Amino acid sequence: MKLWNGRKSMVCLLVLFISLLAAVTIAGQLYKTEALVTDFSRKNMPPCFSHPFGTDWMGRDMFARTLTGLSMSIRIGLLTAAVSTTFAFLLGLFAASMGKAADGLVVGLIDLVMGIPHILLLVLISFALGKGFKGVVVGISLTHWTSLARLIRGEVLQLKESQYIKIARKLGHGGFETALKHMTPHLIPQLLVGLVLLFPHAILHEASITFLGFGLSSEQPAIGVILSESMKYLAMGKWWLALFPGAFLVVVVLLFHLTGEMVGRLMDPGALHQ
Amino acid sequence: MRKYRWGIAAALVLSAVVMSGCGKADGKQTQAVSESGAADNIGKDDRVVVVMGVSSEPEAGFDPAYGWGAGEHVHEPLIQSTLTVTDKDLNIGYDLATDLKVSSDGLTWNVKIRDDVFFTDGKKLTGKDVAFTYNTLRDTSSVNDFTMLDRAEAVDDTTVVFHMKHPYSIWPYTMAVTGIVPEHAYGPDYGEHPIGSGRYILKQWDRGQQVILEANPDYYGEAPKMKRVTVLFMEEDGALAAVQSGQADIAYTAASYSDLTVPGYGLLDCKTVDNRGFNLPAIPSGSVSEEGVPLGNDFTSEVKVRRAINIGIDREEMINNVLNGYGSPAYSVCDKMPWYEPSAKTEYDPEGAKALLDEAGWKLGSDGIRVKDGKRAELKFLYPAGDSVRQALAADTINQLKELGIDGQMEGASWDTAYDRAYSQPLIWGWGAHTPMELYNIYHTMEETGLAAYSPYANQKLDQYMDEALAESDLEKSYELWKKAQWDGETGITQSGDIPWIWLVNIDHLYWVRDGLKVADQKLHPHGHGWSIVNNVDQWSWEP
Repeated sequence: MKLWNGRKSMVCLLVLFISLLAAVTIAGQLYKTEALVTDFSRKNMPPCFSHPFGTDWMGRDMFARTLTGLSMSIRIGLLTAAVSTTFAFLLGLFAASMGKAADGLVVGLIDLVMGIPHILLLVLISFALGKGFKGVVVGISLTHWTSLARLIRGEVLQLKESQYIKIARKLGHGGFETALKHMTPHLIPQLLVGLVLLFPHAILHEASITFLGFGLSSEQPAIGVILSESMKYLAMGKWWLALFPGAFLVVVVLLFHLTGEMVGRLMDPGALHQ
Repeated sequence: MRKYRWGIAAALVLSAVVMSGCGKADGKQTQAVSESGAADNIGKDDRVVVVMGVSSEPEAGFDPAYGWGAGEHVHEPLIQSTLTVTDKDLNIGYDLATDLKVSSDGLTWNVKIRDDVFFTDGKKLTGKDVAFTYNTLRDTSSVNDFTMLDRAEAVDDTTVVFHMKHPYSIWPYTMAVTGIVPEHAYGPDYGEHPIGSGRYILKQWDRGQQVILEANPDYYGEAPKMKRVTVLFMEEDGALAAVQSGQADIAYTAASYSDLTVPGYGLLDCKTVDNRGFNLPAIPSGSVSEEGVPLGNDFTSEVKVRRAINIGIDREEMINNVLNGYGSPAYSVCDKMPWYEPSAKTEYDPEGAKALLDEAGWKLGSDGIRVKDGKRAELKFLYPAGDSVRQALAADTINQLKELGIDGQMEGASWDTAYDRAYSQPLIWGWGAHTPMELYNIYHTMEETGLAAYSPYANQKLDQYMDEALAESDLEKSYELWKKAQWDGETGITQSGDIPWIWLVNIDHLYWVRDGLKVADQKLHPHGHGWSIVNNVDQWSWEP
């Protein structure tokens, strides 16, 4: 009976989730060209057997567009989350281990970035960089590192008080060396969980900034583009243009969120008691 | 259990609060609608509610100096009178003017005006007001070109003389959209409180929502049949909703909505010169403009390529594909205008197009795309981001060109970069105006660069014809010169000529019209799906 315990089923679910997300990413890549094909002989078709998500006003297959859009979102999410996490890690470490002045600087920076509404800062950065892929990636990367950096900083402050770190310092290891050698292994779980939990934010922000017209260019099959285009056609009863892409965006975000939670619980069971 | 009971009670209270909140909001909303005047205008036989797009709201108000009537999208100013009017076939008629004479050198226009016209504040409209208007517009207008005017001079109360810097034979077309403002009541806030002598008076303007016009009781012409015109500004989907709920009598709509049916409404299909087309840079790449913008395109610099593209596009199919049939093929920027050269019309000929490309040395490669000297035949079409019709036109063009062996991509661009990029790439443009000046703007070279304004191209013969046309003192004769500029038998901008621009379609302007409303005959609408529809709202009527 005990063979199939909670932890094991969680690992199974986790594997399932990750493979689902991987499948969407890869499938989106395979449908890349199909998503751009316009064919006016099949425009405005409701969902049917050959086009499960229907087609839009230029006869583009919405299934291919949705998958490609999600895949693009996931890849942008991966890139921005990785950049954000690295950023957060370095700054958190820097703040906590390099003395008072460094700490004040980083904490100030965190407050500054957190003080401005996310979406506003994102729009500003993206617009300043000429929108498009570059604008979105830089914008999201520069706005999403704050809470994780704060977490890392707190963690490092706590670690600094622990015996083995103190001993390492007494043995003459420098601040940076101790941080890298002795603290980092301890921080990896938090970082990993933080990375995964950044995904949903990054993806949603990518979609919303594109929806607002400050993100990816309108000929690209991004979820934000699809959704903003569909607005006009909703009034005409073409519900499939928004429903499937919207629902699948939510599903992907949920999957990432659950994955993050599970990774957190698997790696750090004690977190439950905090 | 006790705990749950409290929970339920709390939930009940909460939902009661929420519901009453909703109820209040609803009440407010209906009140707002009736206040806005939309509701109480419905069904009255001398009132009409018109819905236009949000971009049609004149940002700077109803001041001709800031684009009211005489802006990028020309229309009759309604509130003000104009010297001339254009009729259904775009020929010139008189409004304030009673006589119009131009000197043989084209430099002096002598205009007699009516003696019986009063502004709505009771003061008489005289030649001084006319001269004041034109001199003011020459100095301040940011949207319309008055640079050819040296000065306007009021000789007496009923005579105005325009002194021109250079001949400008199509001056009467400028007169037809320039509203005359009163010298005594013109100031910085004129746009918000306009006083004119036109058919209507501005009664109320709620920014972002609506404009209410009322008939001018002292109008010198035929009294308007519609006494009150309410214009609401809405997005396309809002306009549809307004029609579906019966709040509007006439509302603009797009071709993509045309397969819907709205009970109690019919679809009005207005023909237009609101055309869409793309430029093909006619010089090879390699040079840059003074600002460092790259000019030219190697593929489209070959005239045979441009000709092949022109006859390789099936415009009828495009109209069905993109516009649901609501459009007409475009062969020039001025189709059906008096200055249109009919030989611009071409027949769809894919075989001919392929032959032309073969002739030009572009041979089919293994992937179905033509190549020449190791270069692929490919084009990247730009379209203004957010314009779904132009995007679809770009997509259909690309599909059709692929049949000829030309590869294409498209990209949405914003206007802050689109103008520059169009110097080396095709861009889907929209044009169409009630003046031949548009030909000049697109095809005539500019002094500074020696190239045309929007897409690199130059033809001295063409420049010469257009300069002559502007210098011609007889308007009718100038039409012939405008036509010659398009094709004179040897050179021009048509298929047999240089064809630096490809014209695709004229987009019909569509409106939902309440059954029983008789919308008077429309002249061909220019570019801009806005105020043109109410040019003759004074002649509309309700069927009993």
